[in-house]
Amino acid sequence: MPLLDFKRNYFQLFDLPQGFSLDQAQLGARYRQLQMELHPDRYASGSAHEQRLAVQYSALVNEAYTTLRKPLERALYLLALAGMSAESISGQPIDGGFLIAQMELREKLESMAEMVDPQTALDHLISEISADVAELRIEYSKAYSAGELSAAACACVKMQYLEKLQVEAELLESSLLDR
Amino acid sequence: MALLNIAEPGQSQLPHQVKRAVGIDLGTTNSLVATVRGGRPAVLPDTQGAVMLPSVINYSAADSPKVGASALALAASYPADTLMSVKRFMGRGRDDAQEDARRSRYHLAECEEGMVSFLTSGGQISPVEASAEILRVLRQRAVDTLGGEIDGAVITVPAYFDEAQRQATKDAATLAGLPVLRLMNEPTAAAVAYGLDAAEHGVIAVYDLGGGTFDISILRLHKGVFEVLATGGDTALGGDDLDAALADWLLRESGSPTLEAGDYRQLQAIARTAKESLSEAVTVDIDMSSILPGGGIVRVSRETFEEMIQPLVKRTLLSCRRCLRDAQLEEGVDNIVMVGGSTRVPLVREAVADFFGRSPLLDIDPDQVVAVGAAIQADILVGNRPEGDLLLLDVIPLSLGIETMGGLAEKIVPRNTTIPVSRAQEFTTYKDGQSALAVHIVQGEREMVSDCRSLAHFELRGIPPMVAGAARIQVTFQVDADGLLSVSAREEITGAEASVMVKPSFGLTDDEITGMLQASFSHAEEDKLVRQLAEQRLAAWQLLDGLKSALEVDGEALLTDSERQALSRHMIELQVLIDGQDVDAIRVQTERLGRESEAFATRRMDKSIREALAGVSLDSLDDEAIQ
Repeated sequence: MPLLDFKRNYFQLFDLPQGFSLDQAQLGARYRQLQMELHPDRYASGSAHEQRLAVQYSALVNEAYTTLRKPLERALYLLALAGMSAESISGQPIDGGFLIAQMELREKLESMAEMVDPQTALDHLISEISADVAELRIEYSKAYSAGELSAAACACVKMQYLEKLQVEAELLESSLLDR
Repeated sequence: MALLNIAEPGQSQLPHQVKRAVGIDLGTTNSLVATVRGGRPAVLPDTQGAVMLPSVINYSAADSPKVGASALALAASYPADTLMSVKRFMGRGRDDAQEDARRSRYHLAECEEGMVSFLTSGGQISPVEASAEILRVLRQRAVDTLGGEIDGAVITVPAYFDEAQRQATKDAATLAGLPVLRLMNEPTAAAVAYGLDAAEHGVIAVYDLGGGTFDISILRLHKGVFEVLATGGDTALGGDDLDAALADWLLRESGSPTLEAGDYRQLQAIARTAKESLSEAVTVDIDMSSILPGGGIVRVSRETFEEMIQPLVKRTLLSCRRCLRDAQLEEGVDNIVMVGGSTRVPLVREAVADFFGRSPLLDIDPDQVVAVGAAIQADILVGNRPEGDLLLLDVIPLSLGIETMGGLAEKIVPRNTTIPVSRAQEFTTYKDGQSALAVHIVQGEREMVSDCRSLAHFELRGIPPMVAGAARIQVTFQVDADGLLSVSAREEITGAEASVMVKPSFGLTDDEITGMLQASFSHAEEDKLVRQLAEQRLAAWQLLDGLKSALEVDGEALLTDSERQALSRHMIELQVLIDGQDVDAIRVQTERLGRESEAFATRRMDKSIREALAGVSLDSLDDEAIQ
């Protein structure tokens, strides 16, 4: 069925210039416009066939939106468009200093559950991670625009490390809430 | 254009008639039903003028159970036969529910694994059956007020409800004979209720402290599009806990005597009344003599009460903070919507205002706002608003994933992902010559599968013998706009496939539902037929309505004359059948018309996508919207 051209890349789908910096307002406006046309609820009185199509299209638009909206996913997507495979991105050598800093942050996190006021310590850690991520985004942006793809990939891998740590920090926060 | 007048003079004009759609707030403490009439949403009162139906069911009488205020009046005399707050038990296993049951002083039945049920004089009653009694009363109220069977209902659930809890809610609606259009998250419903009148765009936080659950959601509203950005909460914290804190304090003040179940119920009721009074008064005197022989007056001040509930309120704010972070907002929150009777407690209001840095909106009654929003969504989904001025983009509240090596849960669709969503991930075999792969689908945020909710199991067979790690197995999760999950697995080399529609293990099987229907109705068969006929007619109307407006717009452009004539012939045939009683004939013709119109539907969607993608400049769109 030659409908929505699945080969168009996400930037084309949203009518946006391909690049790391992105107009979030325009992305959001375009997203809402597409969903107004495609969302299954717009076909609530339609046939089963229409509804199935709508689910597929709407899911594709959601996927594209999520990918472009989140900086790390957008960064990885741009590298994929530039022809870098997932393996070559994850295989980037990472400098030892970064890895040691990561281990320290991780140890800090692990010791938190026993603290008197883990919430405050956790807040500190989470904002520390956010600041690091913000720096890495700048690093990525510079490397990508200069065409230095492996340096850009390296920044992505570091962001992945930090994101994972952030998820763990949030898991700890949930378990604190539950007790 | 002639297609618009398919019905002969004197024949029913059903497809153009406004359909009876209701929104139902099936609450822990109270339940309500609302509808949209003449474009305005309204909650429906009973014959006494009361809109709130206490979510209480009493099974002490030999005949049918009592529901609502009359059941509540019997709570103290028949504690074990009067079920309250059953929502807390929906879709939960017996082990999960034990602690809540102990606190509520219920007797749980000694049933096998699976869902809980309560031992009452009326027999073993499951939370699903008890909830169905509430829904039945609300359905009847709507039928009486609107003058006919309900065509479609939207029922609200806490955003944080998992699959099993949602399925249990759907089962209850089926038992009550209600055709469910959609389950809707309560905070989203509240935002929709405000969204119609409130500012055209902005970020809305919905703070929903219900009887038994706490939910927080952050939404962005932009020209009729509601985008849920993040949702979170606590399924085990609610207004009941505020009452319980006060009840326990009262007991301690009175020397901690042991109470009979009935007396404890009464104490809880007293605590609730005192809580409500403390929203207005600074101190309240509580007469304990009705519960404790020789018990005197206990005075409680608002300040003391606030000390008791401070930790509970703080827990809700921690959830708010996590939700705000999940939402990844670049701007601030513009409006705060309060839902649930407990948000009348001044401390709660102050704490929420403090946290978000602005005062909450209070224009719509916090007890009614959810039902009103559900009614608006029901009105849309049933097809009463073909123009569609509103669209809801909701998210899944809990992560979905599968079990991997070592009992770890691998998340495939993380929580707060907008639906519909389709996401695939590749897995491989871990043993040489492995010919099958067991797929275990789980829901939850924890790392270990044992801490998550198990949703379904299935097996992919027929993997050709290969060395470990060589097979490429694509596992795809699809969640539709109703939040229903289907999972499929496919081995890429041979194309071997397996899939499952997820029905959680705590839900009821269709056989169980049929069994319950037969046991609980005296006219089970008749009711079943009435329901089937209603559902089938709704499906037929929806198809006809959709096709009519589609033909009106695109019929000439996208169809040849003969295609158009064929379609309208089938439409007339279906139209005639709708007025009859033959369920099967309606179904067969609906399916046939559905197939006949597929090509047209595909062409239409193709056209609308082309138009949407035609690069209309956003500025010009904005201008249109303002005009």
